[in-house]
Amino acid sequence: MGEVKLKRRDFLKIGGITCLSTLFTPLNNLVPFISFAEAAESEAKYSITKKIPQVCARACECDCAYNVVVGVDKATGIERGITIEGRPEDPVSRGKYCIKALGFVDGMYNPDRLLVALKRTNPKRGVDQDPGWVTISSDEALDEIIEKMKKHKREEMVFASPGDPYSNRLCRSLGVRRSDQRTECFGTHYYLNALMVTNPPNKYYSSTYTVTHSIWGFDYSDTKYMLWFGFDSFSKCGKAGILNHIAEGKRKGTKIVGFNPLRTPMADGLMDEWYPIKPGTDLAVTLAMIKIMLDKKIYNEKFVKNYTDSASLIDAETRLHITNSDGKWMAWCTEHKRMEPIETCDAPALDGGPFTVTVDGKDVQAMPVLQLLKENVKDCTSEWAAKISDVPADVITRVTREFAEAAPNVCIPNLKRDPAGPNYANSWRLMHTINILHALTGSFDHDGGVLFLHDVKIPWLEDVDPPAKPYPPLPEKAPDFRHEFPVTEEIYQKKDFSAPGHYGMIGYGLYKTDMTKVVVFKGPHRGLAALIQPQMTEKALEKMDLVWDWDLYLDDIVYWSDYVLPAPHQFEESKLDLRQYYPKYPCLVAGEPVQKAPGDCIGWGTIAKRIGLALAPEYWTTDGSSDPDKVIEGNMNDAALKAVGVAENTEEFLTEQNGIWIDKKPYENYKTIREIGYGRPNGRVRLYIDEFVKVSHEPLPKWAERWTSSEGEYKYSLLITRAAWHMHADPNFINNEALNVVSEKNYIDCVWISPGAGKKLGLSEGDSVVLETNPKYMEELPRPVKAKVHITNRIARNDCVLLFHGIGHRSKWLKHGRWGYRDGDLIPQKNPEVSKPHDPTGMGWVEDVYVKIKKA
Amino acid sequence: MGKYAILLDTRFCTGCNTCFYKCVQENRLHESANQGYARTMVLIRDKGLFHHRCMHCEEPSCVATCPSGAFAKTPEGIVLYDSQPCLGCKSCVIACPFNIPQWDMKKKEVIKCTMCAHRVLKGKQPACVEVCPTDALEFGLYEEITGKAKQIAAENKLNIYGLEENGGTSVIILTKEDPIAIGYPEVSKSATKARGPKTIVGTAAVAALAYAGIKKYTERRAEIEGKKDE
Repeated sequence: MGEVKLKRRDFLKIGGITCLSTLFTPLNNLVPFISFAEAAESEAKYSITKKIPQVCARACECDCAYNVVVGVDKATGIERGITIEGRPEDPVSRGKYCIKALGFVDGMYNPDRLLVALKRTNPKRGVDQDPGWVTISSDEALDEIIEKMKKHKREEMVFASPGDPYSNRLCRSLGVRRSDQRTECFGTHYYLNALMVTNPPNKYYSSTYTVTHSIWGFDYSDTKYMLWFGFDSFSKCGKAGILNHIAEGKRKGTKIVGFNPLRTPMADGLMDEWYPIKPGTDLAVTLAMIKIMLDKKIYNEKFVKNYTDSASLIDAETRLHITNSDGKWMAWCTEHKRMEPIETCDAPALDGGPFTVTVDGKDVQAMPVLQLLKENVKDCTSEWAAKISDVPADVITRVTREFAEAAPNVCIPNLKRDPAGPNYANSWRLMHTINILHALTGSFDHDGGVLFLHDVKIPWLEDVDPPAKPYPPLPEKAPDFRHEFPVTEEIYQKKDFSAPGHYGMIGYGLYKTDMTKVVVFKGPHRGLAALIQPQMTEKALEKMDLVWDWDLYLDDIVYWSDYVLPAPHQFEESKLDLRQYYPKYPCLVAGEPVQKAPGDCIGWGTIAKRIGLALAPEYWTTDGSSDPDKVIEGNMNDAALKAVGVAENTEEFLTEQNGIWIDKKPYENYKTIREIGYGRPNGRVRLYIDEFVKVSHEPLPKWAERWTSSEGEYKYSLLITRAAWHMHADPNFINNEALNVVSEKNYIDCVWISPGAGKKLGLSEGDSVVLETNPKYMEELPRPVKAKVHITNRIARNDCVLLFHGIGHRSKWLKHGRWGYRDGDLIPQKNPEVSKPHDPTGMGWVEDVYVKIKKA
Repeated sequence: MGKYAILLDTRFCTGCNTCFYKCVQENRLHESANQGYARTMVLIRDKGLFHHRCMHCEEPSCVATCPSGAFAKTPEGIVLYDSQPCLGCKSCVIACPFNIPQWDMKKKEVIKCTMCAHRVLKGKQPACVEVCPTDALEFGLYEEITGKAKQIAAENKLNIYGLEENGGTSVIILTKEDPIAIGYPEVSKSATKARGPKTIVGTAAVAALAYAGIKKYTERRAEIEGKKDE
């Protein structure tokens, strides 16, 4: 320390001040303790006036039930939503809720909320154009929209909307394609489950299906062993409806083994073992697990025989299930040495063959599904998987044994962007193997494992108000190319119109074809601008005749919208929810509006009815007429309450039962599979997927490389996660300054790389970097991402880069959304011709991206 | 009322920061939070999760150094701050070995946890404890909490932070990793009444701060009086 010389005058000055301050110091010692009750903040800063029951929606799949606390803020004297209070009786949330629910409360009062309809006066669209907004009443705007829609053919329009009951009916009645803009990330799960477990619509499939489009939940509280293939994304770190159950299970001794190149806070605390797997290689591990279980015969033979198609015979020539005239699967009886219906066969062969059987008078060779599976995985040893995945072979072997020993109280939870989400083009194979592992362990439809939906449902609009005549056919071609994917088109067209759509291709379709002239966006702040290559969608929207948007905020998409209609906040809506996320008990829970939607907000149901009555009235009246007095009521909630005898209507339910009903009957293992599975009423899980054979894909899972590969400088595999307090660039959260502060303090505004990668690239903490996608895979409209870099050993591999989803936007009308890159800018829109050979569902490939990182 | 403490078992913390935003709403701290000041916040660090929150020391340095008696340690174990007598000298900011008090430049007051005294007085848990999705936070009597902390730590080979630091605190943190490696400050076991300046320059700095504080005292008193009159 250098010597400091002070002049005499300065010394005296400082000395004097020091003495002065010392004089004050003892004052506090005179009153070292005050009474607790005399604290400066001994009173709450608000007084509660009411508590309004609500159910979370649109924030995650949990849909927690809670009360919104309304009170008077003493500082301002204004009555408003203050905070949230938990409802311990709710079986999902059990009195908990998350930071996003709290964010929603303040979102209601965000000064940037859209409260009036706006109409563009500048016909040129684009981010560099001033739309020249003029205000207009929502009614007038809708009238003008309807007149413009009348001028277009149905095949020229597309609704970018999830499959909610009103969107479905509107699209079906108009004969317009619905291209789902936000549930594609559930698509891989949804379609694999539809193809393996239940063919929708089953008797329990409800209009308020879980947000994940899933037909099950996971029994985190009572499971003994869980495998997490990336399940512990940062977004999971905030999902209170899951976390409270996982924590309970953990306290009871659940073992959790995780595979993730990213070490998340959930890995820190909750995992017993963590392995930094190479991205996109989870499939190798699950295939090896299947091989071990089959080779060592440590699978649940009873479940496999009785509740799956494992013994059913596959024709060697057609490669399809052999069925009898009743459509029943056939098995080889080891006692009678002949082919018999699987349901009546006493001794079905699970392996062996080929067996010679007669089908339609012709001898064919056939083998049981399980034997084919064995042959598929015969080379998938632990050592083989270890070389591919970097997970040690002895770990794979041991974990498989432990998992099988703990069965059936085991599960491999999978939702959204975690295992088998949209991550990779071959995620469908991973989902296939996960479902097979659940079948081999008998954890399907079993408490402690995978809980199937309960038998209470909320009807669809078609159930309470059936259309007077069949809906018109949909246009042959879809702007999202769904028509070129027969596996998903079949389900969407014939079985479940609410099925997730091909969002990843809609931008490509709009950009590359001229079929679409009108695009309708329903709340795109949750999808479009935050997801896959928005630049292609943006460019395409410039050439449309009409683009309109129903939204809570003026977010990015309004740069291309002709009209924006103001939407109510989710807390300004009534709700009824089934608690399907944790479906252990039949349950209904209701929510009521916290306040009347302010300004000129207009609900989606009202919009759908207005458009429907104007353009296809015969589907929107009770008698098929055009009489607006006979418009359908669409009261699905009351119908659901009546069906279970809970209440006559929602109001009575809220008043007399506080809006919650639970039937706490014990979970009946393996009951629901019989009722919803293939071959019901004696339902089974189908391991072998005939539909994939028909589109030249493997009916049983096999190893496949990613469709892209590391090349030259483009060697950093894109990992994507999301902060616990964000959704897809939802302004409820990114336009909240306090949450932005937490993001910055936690480096969520940065891209994360490992110290090793940082060293190799010559980067230091906080350096600005540019990320570019390999142009070989993104030939058009590339938009490199610029961001600060955070160097952290939470990224455990040198071949990855982590981006945070849902933080980027460019809207000048969001005052607090002051930063953010978009992960989606780096993900190429899917060319259907490229996608088809890799993925029969067309749902994957979000993280099939390698980028170059360079210093900015 | 007894003496209270909070137990934080970081094995169950996921860094969701619901505690942070609940605290903001419960205590109506939006403006401060927007400026970056928080009574509690979880920071995701390389080795684990670091909770930046008042430890409610047994022998608080903020109480010992505050020249105006704005801080007090209550018999319930809670360290409280009162903005009324606060001079704004920020000696608490310098003194705290845990780097907790933050000076809100806009509101001109210290941001620091009250352990939700207003709720505890009514028999409720602090808001952060009630809201924690995994019950990583637990509120209870000091003796019970410290006893439980010791037991859990022994059974699970965890580190304990806060039991002895700065002479002991009313926030006990259990960690798998070394808390210092995670980012918790290395604090001596005995109470540091104040982190005194070690150089003549430091002395001068503290003195200057105190001088500035005293200078501002008059106008601040006037401001407070003015507020009272409104």
